[in-house]
Amino acid sequence: MGGKVTCTLGEVKQRADFIVYWGGNPAECHPRHFTKYTIMQKSRFLPRGRKDRTMVLVDIRETKSAKAADTFLQVKPGKDFELITILRAMIKDQRVTDAQIEDTGMTREVLDKLVDQMKNCKFGCMFFGMGLSMTRGKHMNSAALLTLAAELNAFTKFVAMPMRGHGNVTGADVIMRWQTGYPFGITFNRGYPRYNPGEFSTVDVLVRGDCDAAFIIGADPGATMPQPAIDHLKRIPTICLDPHITHTSKLARVHITTAPQGIAAPGTAYRMDELPLPLKPALKSPYPTDEEVVRRINEELQKKPFWMPEGAPLTMTAHG
Amino acid sequence: MIRITGGKVYDPANGIDGEVKDICIDDNGRIVESIDGGRTIDATGMIVFPGGVDVHTHVAGGAINFARAMTPEDHRRTQAFIRTKTRRSGLGGMAPTTFATGYLYAGMGFTTVNEAAVPVLSARHTHEELADIPIVDKASLTLMANNEIMLDQMQAGEYERAKNVVAWYIWAAKSYGVKAVNPGGVAAWKWGEDAKQLTSPIEGYSNLTPGKIVTQLAQICDDLKLPHPMHLHCNNLGAPGNVSTTIDTLKHLEGHRAHIAHSQYHAYGGDDWDSICSQTGQLAEYFNTHPHITTDAGAVLFGDTVTITADGPWQHLLYKLTGRKWGNLDVENETGCGIVPYTYRPSNLVNAVQWASGLELLLLIKNPWQVFLSTDHPNGGCFWRYPEIIKLLMCADFRKECLEQLPDKIKGKILLPEIDREYTLYEIATSMSAGPAKALGLTKKGSLGVGCDADVVIYEEDPTDIARTFAHPRYVLKAGEVVIEEGDIREAPDGQEFLVKPHMAADTDEFMQPRFEDCYTMQFENYPVELERIERKDLQELPAE
Amino acid sequence: MTLQVVNNATCTFCGCVCDDIQLHHDEVRIHEARKACVLGTAWFLNHTAEKKYPVALVDGKEATLDEAIEAAAHHLHEADMPLVYGMSNTTCEAQKECAALADQLGGLLDSHTSL
Repeated sequence: MGGKVTCTLGEVKQRADFIVYWGGNPAECHPRHFTKYTIMQKSRFLPRGRKDRTMVLVDIRETKSAKAADTFLQVKPGKDFELITILRAMIKDQRVTDAQIEDTGMTREVLDKLVDQMKNCKFGCMFFGMGLSMTRGKHMNSAALLTLAAELNAFTKFVAMPMRGHGNVTGADVIMRWQTGYPFGITFNRGYPRYNPGEFSTVDVLVRGDCDAAFIIGADPGATMPQPAIDHLKRIPTICLDPHITHTSKLARVHITTAPQGIAAPGTAYRMDELPLPLKPALKSPYPTDEEVVRRINEELQKKPFWMPEGAPLTMTAHG
Repeated sequence: MIRITGGKVYDPANGIDGEVKDICIDDNGRIVESIDGGRTIDATGMIVFPGGVDVHTHVAGGAINFARAMTPEDHRRTQAFIRTKTRRSGLGGMAPTTFATGYLYAGMGFTTVNEAAVPVLSARHTHEELADIPIVDKASLTLMANNEIMLDQMQAGEYERAKNVVAWYIWAAKSYGVKAVNPGGVAAWKWGEDAKQLTSPIEGYSNLTPGKIVTQLAQICDDLKLPHPMHLHCNNLGAPGNVSTTIDTLKHLEGHRAHIAHSQYHAYGGDDWDSICSQTGQLAEYFNTHPHITTDAGAVLFGDTVTITADGPWQHLLYKLTGRKWGNLDVENETGCGIVPYTYRPSNLVNAVQWASGLELLLLIKNPWQVFLSTDHPNGGCFWRYPEIIKLLMCADFRKECLEQLPDKIKGKILLPEIDREYTLYEIATSMSAGPAKALGLTKKGSLGVGCDADVVIYEEDPTDIARTFAHPRYVLKAGEVVIEEGDIREAPDGQEFLVKPHMAADTDEFMQPRFEDCYTMQFENYPVELERIERKDLQELPAE
Repeated sequence: MTLQVVNNATCTFCGCVCDDIQLHHDEVRIHEARKACVLGTAWFLNHTAEKKYPVALVDGKEATLDEAIEAAAHHLHEADMPLVYGMSNTTCEAQKECAALADQLGGLLDSHTSL
């Protein structure tokens, strides 16, 4: 199946008596997640707070988050997909061999207990981090975990949610979806949006040398991307907007300093559960906002000839 | 200034039925008695309607945006709107992008839409999307019937408090009215349960029943003097035998105004999926004897779509029935939503009953001022397929042809084969424009009377295919501006949003804050949508009682 | 000097987007970010309203904002397949302008999510 069975964080705060963090380290990466949204909160349904909730952490190594957990399960690196698949089988009482279980670093006893907790909680929630979604299996791992959560609804209430990081990356997803139908990895080169991660995603585009200019905003690929991608950014005209002079600024043909969002630039940002929140800047920056600069570039471009020839069709059937 | 001359005008709000008369439009985009100069559009031989009004659709916000994410396979095969120098690109299909939504609605002569389900928590998001839907004017309704702060007040018997809570939420969301979905059922779904009986207490409450919520919320909408009455999605949607729940709900509404959403989904007899049958006769009779209640059809068309509703438990059932993708999003303290792609097939008995039931309601409810064209987009079919429904309503012969596709076992389960009624153009204009505008309380819409917004559609009748006539208007004018001409989008101006500010007790903020802080995860101060975020608005302040 | 206070400010460092932060500032620097975690505190305290960097650089040389905007539009317009990328550390309002930019250019549009 596909899809996602999820909720806003307030539902977790109010109701979740069983919480799994998988491949994430909230204690160090989302420090207030425990206290603001999950295990430490008291609610009308869970009046004793932490005592009314059970937390399981699944990860390849024992991070600081393990201290907060009732149970820490150390999965063998690269075996997340197998472990999730085994759990999907076990909740349906399908046969799984001891060898298959051991291969993931678990024991049958441990998994029996986990399955029992999952099926018998009143409201379960699984949060998954980049340790699941960015390691071997990548989006396959996320899809498997989302499916496990959906299937658990045959027994009880169960939801899952990614632990999104990177500031307002969720906002970019949400906006691209309503304006183009797709969340990322988009091209407009036929005049309408098309989507193909792997073909139109940035690392692939840069490594192949497909693009001949780059506009970088709110990110520093010059510091984080693979070297062949950085080399291509150096070859082509790169434009960079950032509050600081970054690695990307240094390789760019054009750098524009902008006001940092939420500190000196007003606007909106989306939380990981896709709720929008208003920003309240405290400082007045000597620099313009990103919004203003990109708008002015758009206005400047409006003065130039449009790239598509006159008389081109206005509608057509989309082709992948 | 524009004068439309020579066309046959269908303007039910003013009792004009096919009379040839001029329509004059001034520079403020209003209809006036006469003008001096300006452009003349020769509509000789053509028909002139007020712009269409969709009383119930889902075009903006978290739920439809979730559906967009879930259906990339549909985006790849659908209609693409190509970028021009001045106009944004977009994709049509089951869950169109915002820009395409405006182009598609205007492209078939609709100029006002009502987004029928907005959780307050994502109202900020919904308004951002509505601002990106060009051309059409918009209203939105706030989901209330499962709001826990309101339910607590109802449970405690604090009617006045409950009323102030509702007013507070409407204003926080900057919306136009109240939507109730499966009262009590979505709250129960937060524990994996549902609420099917109007008289049974809902999960988590001692004496509060769906019936009490329905009656009190309708009263609240009346007392707050909302221009649109409570907009109700009844309990037990989609289930065999649910007509009894629907009739029971209507009885709980005696003495109140109400709009019943997508009544097709609430008009079934039978005990299970094999014995399901249409019970639209019974439901239509209720409407025929209760003229103060309105409804929209929620008609079903065969083909692919994606279903989206705040009715989480129903979507879980649909996922179990179909085994297809399932999206679910529970929204803290307020509501939820579920998303499942779906294909309606004529060979499927249940789907065949649904298809017939939607048309039956449109045909059996005698007064077109009471029953409006809708598919509960995208649930029963996409809004851009409305012209197909118009054809089914206007041509009994075409209906007979379509009935032949249905399985033999449909015999005796539906009423459609016995219905000969054919809608007139006047009745179509009522059901798709004048009627929904009146039900929404939008006094300047759905009418070509002097002083109204100059939203005008000019169709060139295609005698061979009435669906084509309505799918491809010759001209569409929005606020006096020609936006569609000869089938092309000429202009894509921004529409406005309708908002109301209900009256509430002065201490409502103080009352709300501690309760809010108890259950929400954002700050009280950051929750209401700031009025200045809505750039183009028509704000109506409602008087106290 | 007494510090000014902003209540219920929103932190955009991580996906939690906490909106209950109390900022104490003197218009140039934020001196305290109450309720913020260690990551959020660093985020708020490390950004100032000082003019530490040039407004813009074009080909490594200091330039005015107008010159930089003109140069950016020139490079993007000249390109056959321009890429618009990033959008994590910015506002939704800027993200919408970025989507409009890629649409207008007939280019590529992508975020951190694809990494």
